[in-house]
Amino acid sequence: MPDISNITQSVAAIKAAFEEHRYICSDQIATAVYLAFHLRKPVLIEGPPGVGKTELAKTTAELFALPLIRLQCYEGLDEAKAIYEWKYGKQLLYTQVLKETLEEVLQGAKGFKQSVARLHEFGDIFFSEEFLEPRPLLKALKEKDGCVLLIDEVDKSDHEFESLLLEILSDFQVSIPEIGTVKAVAEPPMVFLTSNNTREISDALKRRCLHLYIPFPDLELEQKIIHARVPEIPPELRRQMVAFIQELRELDLKKVPAISETIDWARTLLLLHADSLDPDLVRDTLNVILKFQEDIVNVQGEISAITNKVKNAKR
Amino acid sequence: MERTLANFIQVLRNAEVRVSPAETLDAMTALELVGYADRTFLKNSLALVLPKTVDEKVAYDAAFDQFFRFEEVNNKALQNDPNRSGDESDQEGDEQQGEGNGEGGGGSAAETDPANGKRKSKSKQKGKQKPNNLQDEEEEEADLGPGPMTEAKSELGKLLMANSRVELAVRMAQAGEAVNVKGIQIFTQKGLYARRMMDAMGLSELNEEIGDLGEARQVPARRLGQELKRRREWLREEVRDYVERQFLLHADVSGKRLREELLRTVKLSNVEHRSFRLIQEIVYKMAKRLATMHARRKKVFKRGALNVPRTLRRNMQYDGSIFDLHWKSVKIDRPKVFAICDVSGSVANYARFMLMFLYSLEEVMPKVRSFAFSSDLAEVTELFERNDLEDAINKTLHEYSGGSTDYGQALLDFKRMCLDDVDNRTTIIILGDARNNYGENRQLILKEMYDRAKRVIWLNPESKNAWNAGDSVMRTYGAYCHQVEECNSLMHLERVVGNLLKQASA
Repeated sequence: MPDISNITQSVAAIKAAFEEHRYICSDQIATAVYLAFHLRKPVLIEGPPGVGKTELAKTTAELFALPLIRLQCYEGLDEAKAIYEWKYGKQLLYTQVLKETLEEVLQGAKGFKQSVARLHEFGDIFFSEEFLEPRPLLKALKEKDGCVLLIDEVDKSDHEFESLLLEILSDFQVSIPEIGTVKAVAEPPMVFLTSNNTREISDALKRRCLHLYIPFPDLELEQKIIHARVPEIPPELRRQMVAFIQELRELDLKKVPAISETIDWARTLLLLHADSLDPDLVRDTLNVILKFQEDIVNVQGEISAITNKVKNAKR
Repeated sequence: MERTLANFIQVLRNAEVRVSPAETLDAMTALELVGYADRTFLKNSLALVLPKTVDEKVAYDAAFDQFFRFEEVNNKALQNDPNRSGDESDQEGDEQQGEGNGEGGGGSAAETDPANGKRKSKSKQKGKQKPNNLQDEEEEEADLGPGPMTEAKSELGKLLMANSRVELAVRMAQAGEAVNVKGIQIFTQKGLYARRMMDAMGLSELNEEIGDLGEARQVPARRLGQELKRRREWLREEVRDYVERQFLLHADVSGKRLREELLRTVKLSNVEHRSFRLIQEIVYKMAKRLATMHARRKKVFKRGALNVPRTLRRNMQYDGSIFDLHWKSVKIDRPKVFAICDVSGSVANYARFMLMFLYSLEEVMPKVRSFAFSSDLAEVTELFERNDLEDAINKTLHEYSGGSTDYGQALLDFKRMCLDDVDNRTTIIILGDARNNYGENRQLILKEMYDRAKRVIWLNPESKNAWNAGDSVMRTYGAYCHQVEECNSLMHLERVVGNLLKQASA
């Protein structure tokens, strides 16, 4: 069990703790976690794909030793899938079973009024928590020791869904008509929302969140990340490949390589026992970092130039 | 604390970062947690709370650096902060010294020194430059040499001689308030405001004193006079700096807003070349707004009333028990737009903005095909996809704007190239002045287009009373258009494209 109060004392401590979990982050990111923890505000993370948005939530969960509850958003996601649903099957089954006992209950009841009165004694059992199937959002509220809730790719969901999120994000509660308002049991969860910016998130949602933008890391930070993720790779090669990737990002590509691609590439190069970059090697492994044929073709011509530039750069 | 923050937020709003009251409250709580001590920490923290898009973050960064470079000294809130009231006030004392004496010590303190924090930057800049000079001069003093001086009598003189930069800054800020320096609008007002501020700080008294001292007999008094003169110059410099900063914070942006407002309505052909960048920004903003407005409609087709016939039909296979429901859906098709732009000299400027606008709308109008012509028509869609907007437009204009206008030929080319692609969902937008050099009109091709397309919209950059005069054949062409509009400012453009989108989704 990590000492949470120690970790959250300062931004530097958070950063160090993240590093222990092999997540290298900038001050900005650590500050976001720090504020999120102390202010209990959700964090909306935006940035190009593959810069570690989801990873941040996962690592935070690890760091605080909290369970991670993840809600993957997609078009058509609604409250039945995100918040709660009644267990229809169970309800149906129980009614069938109860049908027989019902007669006993109603025996001797005179008239409709009395029957209804007796039925009322049952209470609204069918619409109680027994029959409630909690979905990620409700589950996150009910978690006893708090949790990390990750709402992934919020931009993929519908507009209506965003409004659904507002209640849980600002007050950490959910209203279920049949039961009432369910509040967070203990510690309100730490909420992370990620977005790839395929569409604008509404102002209402943005207002309730801290807004963190994670850009591509600079040369130094990316080297550190690679070092943390693929420690076996020799330092010189690491410098070269990261520099190469940084150069690629400057080019006009359909999809620029992200950190995850850099990591994959590092692993590939390691597997090939490479110890420095050369144009042929790059050409052969280009499909690891570039995901569109068009990009690969475009880059082909520049490979030797970039490789040389990277190799001759000051160490 | 609240005061500074509120001022900062005002500046942010000026810089087009939208900050709601709720966010202001958030910033306040964040501030309580973070404190003013560590500048980067503060910057990072507020960056999470206040700006909410990438563009805003950039604006925020600039505003933060500008604003907190000169921290308002009259902000007593630091002492109100319960956690750090003690050491802050100590610090204030330290800084007074550091700043007042300009002994690099306070100024160049290590960046990381949390104690100096936010004030640091200011004392660094100021402390190093100005007061140091001051001291140097003091030592170089030749004509009278160092020696005893009499006491200054005027209020401002006392302040100046007391070497207390903090008090001076307070005076400066007060004077700034008094003359409402935040109201500064254009850069030519800088001198005026600087003078007013000097006056408000009691310049005349000081001048009088300096004059008196100059005529005094005793050396110490004259020495004081010289010293005061020097310090007056220095103060003037400071005030000018102060006004400059206020100008950058408050006026630069409101001036820009003014210009933007103006540009929206001004005739596009009158736009000066240097405003193009700004115009592009505006176009982008307008397009973005339209895009978000209409992106929302996309989802409507999911709801709707029960489609009874279809439901019955579909449920026949289940013996007529109806449980597979079908709904009437509203299909929303995105407009398919063919934009035909006359790029001959007379309308080239309009075409530029028209194309700019259409392309900025990519998000909601994925199918825009553009054509450019002066005499021969050519498709430039691909050119636009491959190049960035500015290049593309310049290339288009360069390549196609050569010949003399020939609408007949252009229509002919259009028919040959892609009339077959025009269907009843297509909107054709033609941008041109319909000045055909008395050439063949071939309006029947336009009629054909009119019959096939959903809409044909003709945008004419000339004002209405110039239509049909001279070689303009607007009337002939107008007969085969669903809509003919005058369009020569960004406002017009926005309206036309907005209508287009509205009709597409209705």
